[in-house]
Amino acid sequence: MKQSISAEWLKLRHSRMGLVLAALPIISLLIGCSNYYFNQATLQNGWYSLWTQVSLFYGEFFLPLLIAICCSYICRLEHLNRNWNIVLTAPVSIASVFLAKLFVVGMLILFAQALFMGLYRVAGTLFSIPGPFPLETVGWAINGWFASLSIGALQLGLSLRIRSFATPIGISLCAVFVGLGMYILKMGLFFPFSLLTIGMGVLSQDKLTNTQSMLFWMMNVVFIFMFSSMSIRRLKYKGVSASL
Amino acid sequence: MIKIFGLEYFKIRRKKIWIMITLFLAAEMMWAFLSTSMSIARNSDHAVWESIIFSIASMNGLFMPIISAIVVSRICDMEHKGATWKMLVATNVSRGRLYAAKYLCANSLLLYGILAQTGLMIAFGLIKDFPGAPPVEWLIRFIGGTMLATLAVTALQQWISLAVKNQAFALCLGMLGGFIGMTAGLFPTSVRHLLIWSYYFDLSPVTFQYAETASSYMTQPTSSMLVAAALGMIVLFYIAGNIQVNRQEI
Repeated sequence: MKQSISAEWLKLRHSRMGLVLAALPIISLLIGCSNYYFNQATLQNGWYSLWTQVSLFYGEFFLPLLIAICCSYICRLEHLNRNWNIVLTAPVSIASVFLAKLFVVGMLILFAQALFMGLYRVAGTLFSIPGPFPLETVGWAINGWFASLSIGALQLGLSLRIRSFATPIGISLCAVFVGLGMYILKMGLFFPFSLLTIGMGVLSQDKLTNTQSMLFWMMNVVFIFMFSSMSIRRLKYKGVSASL
Repeated sequence: MIKIFGLEYFKIRRKKIWIMITLFLAAEMMWAFLSTSMSIARNSDHAVWESIIFSIASMNGLFMPIISAIVVSRICDMEHKGATWKMLVATNVSRGRLYAAKYLCANSLLLYGILAQTGLMIAFGLIKDFPGAPPVEWLIRFIGGTMLATLAVTALQQWISLAVKNQAFALCLGMLGGFIGMTAGLFPTSVRHLLIWSYYFDLSPVTFQYAETASSYMTQPTSSMLVAAALGMIVLFYIAGNIQVNRQEI
């Protein structure tokens, strides 16, 4: 497993994925902050009001697409030049190939979330928002990251199956809207994209009850396990199309 | 030129790009129709053609930059993936023509998407029994405005997709474009007019006037300045991309 993870990191060298990962949180935050700045008269809830502005588009639309981009990129090298043949015949288990990819995607998204939170704190300080920094938002960011792993497991499965770089990203865009619909219909717990909306407190900042919180974490574990095992099983028994 | 254009279509014959565009737009249209239906249920004054045109035009700000990025990336990435650029430039066809063929191919596919959108809008209006006949002039302006913005966005996307092998950058740009397109209404007018992704909204024939007492849909006259700016951006992005890709070492 360790070897697989270090191989994945090695493949990311010189990819400049950091730029892609940083661009989105920065721009989301800049636009959210400018909206907050011009509407301070109506946005009276301090740090929480700022959170609603900066996290809305980031958490609802662009974080899922960023996850899809990371997943597509992490499978891109294997889809080139029949590299799947090399990967699948390497002396490592198939499960570790998939899990290493999921781990690396998780780390990349963790970086994006950490950057987003850091920038949120800086922005709040620059706006001189009264009151201490709400630790609840850190919890939302962690929940969001955990829900990202469910989406990551699903997207990785798609990226393994679909050789095109862009198609899984388009599917993710459609899934975002399905997720929004599921959230509105109060069925958010049954779809990974809606879990992200719930976890990050994007549309509602109400605190999750203990039961809701437990269900949220449980459903994420179920989704991660289900999507990962489906992809690993497929890799084991059907392989991947490794044509040029 | 027609032969090269035909060959581009031949290369993507099994990629089912038009099906993909249909599915993505179906998701957008479904969302727009749902929100318009809910808005009509709340306020029957919204049962007018303006509501659906406004709704689609504002959602296009989010969807079209991302769909354009995906379509262009798929058409350009196949050359990177198959390492076929060398083969292509070794044929008796100039790089400029190859670039133009790809550009035309991507835009013809997206034009199909915009026309399908218009057809669905008409169908929705007729089903919902909007008063009057379908507003042909507005629909033509909607198609023209959306296509103009799309031409500029695809020129920019093609430049990035061909110049940078890593398609994550092109897709990220598409995503940022979608983000800007969606939040266009928040920017001051002077800033908004510098960003091509906000033109989906700005070139729409209908806008929504927010007021404290009663908000309403309004006709938005086509600004010749905006059309000229969009045309300028098309030429600028296309020529810049063409020059860079022509000079790029393969």
